[in-house]
Amino acid sequence: MIEKLGSLIERFKKETLINKLKMLWLLFFIPGLTGIIIRAVSGERLAGYGSYVPWGLWIAVYFHAVGISGGAFAVGVIGYLRGVRGLKENLRTTLIVSAVSLMTGLLAIWLDLGRPFRAYKILVSPNFGSMLDFNAWMYGIFLALVGLVFYLSLNKSGEEKTNDRSGWLVPILSLGVFLSIAYPSQSGAFFGVVDAKPFWSSAILPVLFLTSAVTSGASAMLLVHYYLLGDSANSAGPDEEPFPYLRKIILAGIVVYFLGEFSEYSLALWSPISHIKETILLIMFGRFWWVFWIIHIGGALAGFYLLFRSRSLNRLAAGALIIVTSFISTRLNILIPGQSIPEIRGLNEAFTHPRLSFSYTPTAVEYLVALFVISFGLALFHFSRRLLATFIEKNNGRRQ
Amino acid sequence: MTKKKTKTTPTQRDGDTSAKDAGKNISVLDRKDFISKLFKTGAGTLATTIVGNGMLKSVSSLYAQSKDNRAVKRKFRYGMVIDTRRCVGCRSCVLACKAENKTPSGVSYTVVFEEILENRPNDKPVFMTKPCFHCEHPPCTDVCPVSATFKRERDGIVVVDYERCIGCRYCMTACPYSARWFDFGENYPAIEQNTPWAQVPSPEYKQFRKRKNKQSPVGNVRKCTFCLHLQDEEGKYNKEEGRWPACAKTCTGKAIHFGDLNDPNSEVTVLLRERQYMRLKEELGTSPNCYYLI
Repeated sequence: MIEKLGSLIERFKKETLINKLKMLWLLFFIPGLTGIIIRAVSGERLAGYGSYVPWGLWIAVYFHAVGISGGAFAVGVIGYLRGVRGLKENLRTTLIVSAVSLMTGLLAIWLDLGRPFRAYKILVSPNFGSMLDFNAWMYGIFLALVGLVFYLSLNKSGEEKTNDRSGWLVPILSLGVFLSIAYPSQSGAFFGVVDAKPFWSSAILPVLFLTSAVTSGASAMLLVHYYLLGDSANSAGPDEEPFPYLRKIILAGIVVYFLGEFSEYSLALWSPISHIKETILLIMFGRFWWVFWIIHIGGALAGFYLLFRSRSLNRLAAGALIIVTSFISTRLNILIPGQSIPEIRGLNEAFTHPRLSFSYTPTAVEYLVALFVISFGLALFHFSRRLLATFIEKNNGRRQ
Repeated sequence: MTKKKTKTTPTQRDGDTSAKDAGKNISVLDRKDFISKLFKTGAGTLATTIVGNGMLKSVSSLYAQSKDNRAVKRKFRYGMVIDTRRCVGCRSCVLACKAENKTPSGVSYTVVFEEILENRPNDKPVFMTKPCFHCEHPPCTDVCPVSATFKRERDGIVVVDYERCIGCRYCMTACPYSARWFDFGENYPAIEQNTPWAQVPSPEYKQFRKRKNKQSPVGNVRKCTFCLHLQDEEGKYNKEEGRWPACAKTCTGKAIHFGDLNDPNSEVTVLLRERQYMRLKEELGTSPNCYYLI
């Protein structure tokens, strides 16, 4: 048995990077598919959230993916406008990463809806007083803008040019940067406007969400550029652009995020009558202490170390991978503990039912569906890249 | 607030059909062709319809709401006065509500919680029944992205339109009193086993829905309606005729009082004039219409 496993590992090591990734993708997709079938058949009966903690893992995945989308666009486009090598030649890849992440996030929240087939009503009969609706429209506008930028990017006289022939590409990209900063910040505002939850009702949330978005977006971009190198990644160095540019942004992002978080936590813990102290203690020493100490703090430290000290591209990519995955804890640690303190004392005991609990643990189905959402995003990215290559090829052929 | 039903205009239908055809016809060969085909197939028309029917109406309704707030002329202001000295914590209100509204497992429009107050001569807890407070400024309605939950203009009762609600649960997080419930589609065994009980429709909103898997209100957010299905055509309840919210009607200790807070002679107004009362979390500015006598 062990010998067989050893030979399988040996065979895996000999495979190309693409094949290795495909095999890993299957590990996400097959269980994920099971989860999505269960979700389709049983609705939300097998989800772990309830009426007191109505949002769970899928909402965290949604906000994380939306953050990656905004962050990747902002970082990629600013790099493009500044002429950073690698980003300058791959504007369309930046657009794909951003659009795919956003669609992945939207899939996650779509699966979370009680009546998913009515989701179109958000756009058709909106209530702009709701931050959710405002966000939805921002996503729509942003996706339209990405499409427009894609169209204009085909109108360049040469790949080395920054602007297109009409001169509209750069102004629209600048508007896109503004939007890509705006909607991850709005994700923070989405929680910030909920006065019923003292932990959420904080002005620092939009800043934390934006910082987290930029950090995880830059990490995703680093991973994508590592993937683009393919098997030549082993020979390339970490000093080759865009890696130093992305590395600096990720490092700065981690520092700024933890500064913000420290200022919020330390104030609450220092204050004798803080109304959010209980929530913070729950995050740090509650049932899910390991999410804070191991995934959040440990992940950030490990990622920071690898990104700061690495002299090899593989380690740099490992650092980025740790950051992009562990930073989901930044969403989870705001989302779940914010709902886990009863609004009124005694509610927990007022009516006994599994759905009426302030303690939330994601169920197996929730994890499986989350795996499906991730595998969907990865597949969409892969096929979009292939479609892009075919499209460019055909378009160039037509021009000639 | 009266909701106008959005009609599907012929333009919308045309736009939808041609957008479907567009998927078949567009080949990603030339960007100019692509853009021109996109416009020809009516994506522009669809967008205009969405903007025309949805956005503009939404903006105008926001304006209308602010106008309403300035000069609200409401016929009734229904509310509850709950006497904490009379409540014995028997929870008959919880059962009565369940029986009246046929709420499923995990959904309970009213709950009774108890709090042991410090520095009291005895250790008797204070029981408080907690329905939806039908706040004057309900934060739950503002956050709904599709305006599926709203405060009725006539009587101030906060309701949910089950055919409009998308089940996003934003309203549940926004309610400071945890008075909203998500219907996960779970049933009591009697319903699952398809006994005659399963065929009894719920009178909620006078819609008389029979509970069916994957049909609204499954997947919707639900809440107390002050049993508004017991109102007559004019929106009035009648205690003598038994058309009275189930919890107030059944309360064994006569602790739950219900009535029109705008009527100076109603039982609730008299009680508020004569007794000391408090409301929960008044600092949030929600102005709940449920008062607790202390």
